[in-house]
Amino acid sequence: MNRRTAPAAPGDALAGALAAEYAAIYAYGPIGVRLTDADRRAARTAEAAHRARRDALVLQLSATGGTVPADQAGYALPFPVTDRASALRLAVQVEDRTAAFWRAALPVTTGADRTRALNALTDCAVRATRWRRSAGITPLTVPFPGRPA
Amino acid sequence: MVLTCPVATGRTTTHPDGTGQSRRTVLRTGALLAVGAAAVPLTGCGLLDRDGPTPPPDPLEPLAAESRELAARHRAAITADPGLADRLTPIADAHTAHADELRRLIGRPEPSGPAAPGPTVVDGARNTLLAELRAAEQSGRDNAAKACADAPGDRAALLGTIAAARATHLEALK
Repeated sequence: MNRRTAPAAPGDALAGALAAEYAAIYAYGPIGVRLTDADRRAARTAEAAHRARRDALVLQLSATGGTVPADQAGYALPFPVTDRASALRLAVQVEDRTAAFWRAALPVTTGADRTRALNALTDCAVRATRWRRSAGITPLTVPFPGRPA
Repeated sequence: MVLTCPVATGRTTTHPDGTGQSRRTVLRTGALLAVGAAAVPLTGCGLLDRDGPTPPPDPLEPLAAESRELAARHRAAITADPGLADRLTPIADAHTAHADELRRLIGRPEPSGPAAPGPTVVDGARNTLLAELRAAEQSGRDNAAKACADAPGDRAALLGTIAAARATHLEALK
C-alpha cells in the first residue's frame, strides 16, 4: 500500500510533468499540419493549453528552487504522422501520456499544487476524449485516465 | 457508579452540537444522568465496554456509494433507452470499476447498513436522460475532486483519476 510508485518529491513529479508538456507542445506541431477546420482549431487550443501549463510549471519550479528540465530540440514520435487519422491517434496518445505525468504528481503534492495537478490531469483526459470522438475511436473514455495500463 | 456522572457530563459539554449550553443545563443534565444511572445501572456501561466503539466510517464511503449509484443510473438509462447501450455501458462499467478500487483502498467490506436503493427508475426522452446523467456526473466530479484535495497522498492518485474520469463522462455525454 505504501509502496512508492510515484516520484518521491513534488519537484521531481512536477519536473516530469514539465518534460511531458514540452513533448506535447512539440507533438502538436506535426499533428496540427495534418488537420483542418475544427480539428485544427482544437489542436491549436490544446497546444495553447499545454504552453500555459508549461509556463506555469517553469515559474513554479524556478520559484521553489527546483530543477527546471530543459526543453529538447526534438522528440521522437511513436509513429509517423502522415495523415488525419495518424494525427488524431497521436493527439489521443499525447493527452493520455501527459495525463499520466500529472496523475503522478497528485500523491506528492498538497493544497493548491495538488489542485493544479488535478486540473491538468482532468484537462488532458477530457481532450483525449474529444480526440477519440474526432477520430471515431470508441469507447470515448477509459476507466482510469492517466493510470498506466 | 460515581464515576459515571463526570464522564457522561464531560461528553455532554464536548458534544459538537452542545454549543452555548449553560453551566446550569450541563449540571442539570448531569444530575438527570446520575438519577438515570442510579435507577438503571446498566445504561452507563456502554462507556466502559471492552469491545470498544466501532471504527468511524471511512471518509471514502460516500464516494464509493456514489460510484455504485452512478453505475446504477447509467444502467437504468440503458434499460429505458436501449439505443444508448453502446455509449453508456463503458461508463457504467467504469463506475463499477471505481467502486471496486475504492473498496480495495478502504480495505473494509461494504458497510452493512440499510441496503442501497435499487437502480433508479428513469423515464423520458433521450435528451432528458442524458441531461440527468450529465448533472449526476458533474456533481460526482466535484465530489471526487474535493475528496482528492482532502485526501492523504496515498489516496490522491485514485481519487484524482476518478474525478478526471467523471469529467470525461460528462464530455462523452454531450
